[in-house]
Amino acid sequence: MVQSAKPVSPIWCPGCGDFGVLAAVKRAAAELKIPTHELVLVGGIGCSGSIHNFLEINGIHALHGRLLAQAVGVKLANPGLTVIAAGGDGDGYAIGMGHFIHAFKKNASILYIVMNNETYGLTKGQASPTSQIGFEGNVEPPFHSILTALSIPAPNFIARTFSGDPKTMTAILAEAIRFNREGRGFAFVEDLSPCVTYNDTYKLWREKVLDVSKVPDYDPTDRKKMFRICLETTEQGRIPIGVMHRPKEAGRDGLETKLVGERKGPVRTDISLASNLEAYQKLLAGLS
Amino acid sequence: MTTPAARTTPIAEATGPTEPRAPMELSDLSVMIGGQGGDGTLTVSDLLGRYFRKQGLYVYTSRNVLSRIRGGHADASVRASHDPVAAVKSQVDVLVAFDNEAVEMGRAELENHGFIIYDSTTFHSDLPNSAGFPFATLVGGPLGQPIFKNTAAYGALSVLLGFDVESTRSVIQERFKRRGGEALEKNLKALEIGRHAALEAAGVPNRFSVVSGDAHDQILTTGNQAVALGFVVGGGRFFAGYPITPATEIMEYLQRYLPAFDGVVRQAEDELAAINMVIGASYAGARVMTSTSGPGLSLMTEGIGHAATAEIPIVVADCQRVGPSTGQPTRNEQSDLSHLANLGHGEYPRFIIAPSTPVDCFELTVDALNLAERWRVPVILLLDQALCQNTSTSARFDLSKAHLDRGKRLTPEAVAALQQYKVYELTEDGVSAVAPPGTPGVWSEVTGNEHDEWGHVSVNPANRVRMMKKRMEKMVKARNDLPPSRLFGPPDAKIGFIGFGGTSGPIVEAMQLLHARGVPTRYLQARTLYPVPAHELEPFLQSVDVAYVVEHNYTGQFARLVRETLPWHHAKLRSILKYDGYTFRAPQIVAEVKEVA
Repeated sequence: MVQSAKPVSPIWCPGCGDFGVLAAVKRAAAELKIPTHELVLVGGIGCSGSIHNFLEINGIHALHGRLLAQAVGVKLANPGLTVIAAGGDGDGYAIGMGHFIHAFKKNASILYIVMNNETYGLTKGQASPTSQIGFEGNVEPPFHSILTALSIPAPNFIARTFSGDPKTMTAILAEAIRFNREGRGFAFVEDLSPCVTYNDTYKLWREKVLDVSKVPDYDPTDRKKMFRICLETTEQGRIPIGVMHRPKEAGRDGLETKLVGERKGPVRTDISLASNLEAYQKLLAGLS
Repeated sequence: MTTPAARTTPIAEATGPTEPRAPMELSDLSVMIGGQGGDGTLTVSDLLGRYFRKQGLYVYTSRNVLSRIRGGHADASVRASHDPVAAVKSQVDVLVAFDNEAVEMGRAELENHGFIIYDSTTFHSDLPNSAGFPFATLVGGPLGQPIFKNTAAYGALSVLLGFDVESTRSVIQERFKRRGGEALEKNLKALEIGRHAALEAAGVPNRFSVVSGDAHDQILTTGNQAVALGFVVGGGRFFAGYPITPATEIMEYLQRYLPAFDGVVRQAEDELAAINMVIGASYAGARVMTSTSGPGLSLMTEGIGHAATAEIPIVVADCQRVGPSTGQPTRNEQSDLSHLANLGHGEYPRFIIAPSTPVDCFELTVDALNLAERWRVPVILLLDQALCQNTSTSARFDLSKAHLDRGKRLTPEAVAALQQYKVYELTEDGVSAVAPPGTPGVWSEVTGNEHDEWGHVSVNPANRVRMMKKRMEKMVKARNDLPPSRLFGPPDAKIGFIGFGGTSGPIVEAMQLLHARGVPTRYLQARTLYPVPAHELEPFLQSVDVAYVVEHNYTGQFARLVRETLPWHHAKLRSILKYDGYTFRAPQIVAEVKEVA
């Protein structure tokens, strides 16, 4: 057995919501029996983005806000890999917002976990795009990732979990990764992950979360209905959690399927001159 | 717009000598075609380029368009020569004008013997040596649309220049065969309309004749196309980019070429995404590239530094245009060099290599892919608008010269023999052996944070020093691996030129002009700009009394780098600079050489 990089101890504060995600990712990967060498985790910048350091995994630490672009690049280059991108709410919804929106549209079969703590923890507690009005002088209304996600008409898997409920989180992450591995497209899971130091919301969120699957009429294949449910529960001061969108058709709609499909793709294809010589000669002969 | 009736308008209004005369033979001619954007000036230039190439001539075409889809003055020029050329000719032999603005703009550059063919549909010119034909009206009647006026103008030109009729037609067939049917038929008719009008005009038929040449095994291509082909042959299989003039064609060619080779091309949402997508794909093990121009390069700067520190190989083609900000998107400049040499915050290695011809573009793109993987360093392929978009004849690209070197990439078999897999292992040459994710039995941590050999984040000062040296010293250790400079001219010449990229064509032509005046000069064409090739510049600068560094920028960016690297040659270095958006014409360089009385 070759010795590879060993996980290091988390840098997180005791009680951090991100521990829940770390445990759930481990359990989901084990449950799906994904070989370690086929797992790639692209981390963002911030406390949550360091998660790859604490796992036995192919970890790549991206630039702030750019983890989705890198994760899509990994997946399109080698669709055989299972690719998870993980970062925080500042990383994804502020500096990375452009890539966030486009990730739904691109629909590459990768999982994006946003650990939302409604603050910039690593830089010591500034307001983030999801902060409530009044938090650290914040006057802007919080960004609602789930409503945004639901507004983009693409066959994505969309869910929200809560670090206070690790069991449901593991089940949802496992479903999301399975969704990816079936080549069905982009999976977005926002985890409500309290920052015990700068925004300890465990108690508040435990009171406010509402499992949408308990709502009468719940149908995650019906985008319109789920948008209404999420909007109404939010307006009622509750925080909807659970699976918000699960495409009706189990089609292989992932971007990598459209671009690579059953072919080998950029990494696995043979690029040697010898085996491509005839095709290259033909290509160059076309010049006049 | 008034459209004169074809019947009442004289078919030709020619002024100038009318008595029959022997054609004037041209062995190096320039045709300029001007009009409004949308008039089809580029099509005429394309047709002429194809014709001249068929005659075995060397061809160089350039375009002067505005950053808009239609309207505004646009012109194109075609140069055809018996001898190799890679620059715009300073004077124009024939001007084709679709409006009076084109006449006004072009006449200043007209040779004494120059002749103007213009579309007299909307204006009349009293200039001597000109002939007006109402092309738009002539084609508008029989073909239903005035847009074929450009092909009619090509027909008139073919008569003026004494073209072979069959070759003139076959160029039309070649150009429009893909669109086929009606388009081809109407263009052939427009050609005949233009030809017949010109044949009846006094002083026009066979006014000139063009020599034929022996450059038959040449192709007509652009730097952008050559880069795209070099990428494919170099094993590039993942490309992401964002549309930007003058780089876009690289992406467009690859969209055509790459899918057949199992490659992927993505148009990203912005340059930040493009650079990070290629970083992700390279990390996964693909050979990658992105292409951009100034504004996009600014956005990509963040990613390039990340790739250098995380030691992920990438190639970035920078098709320079006039900057800063949006600048002049369709105009030529070489002003990104200082930015690239100092690219980004912090310190990291980078190789900047600069091709000067389509063949160079092809070969150095293959080299760039090899260098990036062998040294795990970002490689910038530095191009300029003229090189990217101007069409020129070129030798066919030689596959036998190409080779692929993936450096210390670990195969699954090599991995199995390892005791431990450290992705940033310290080695003699600073390059660590890497296995792409998915290789059975191993995994790794890759990061843009400072890290130890395992890829774990580290703030240890001794480790920081080791890792900085590992990365930075690659620029020294790779020196003999980087594309060498080229030397032109006699070694004992005491006047030197230094240049790179698109200025090479004009410099070589200026040397010929100087040689004809009895002034020997030599030229060092740098193909690696950074790290500055001191080992090549030192003997060159020792050999000359004065060296003119020829660049398209205001501050003399390469001259500054050379001075900084070889300060003891400070007194010998002079700059010849041009930053008006146009490329050098050879006489402009000659005029700057003070030693020539």
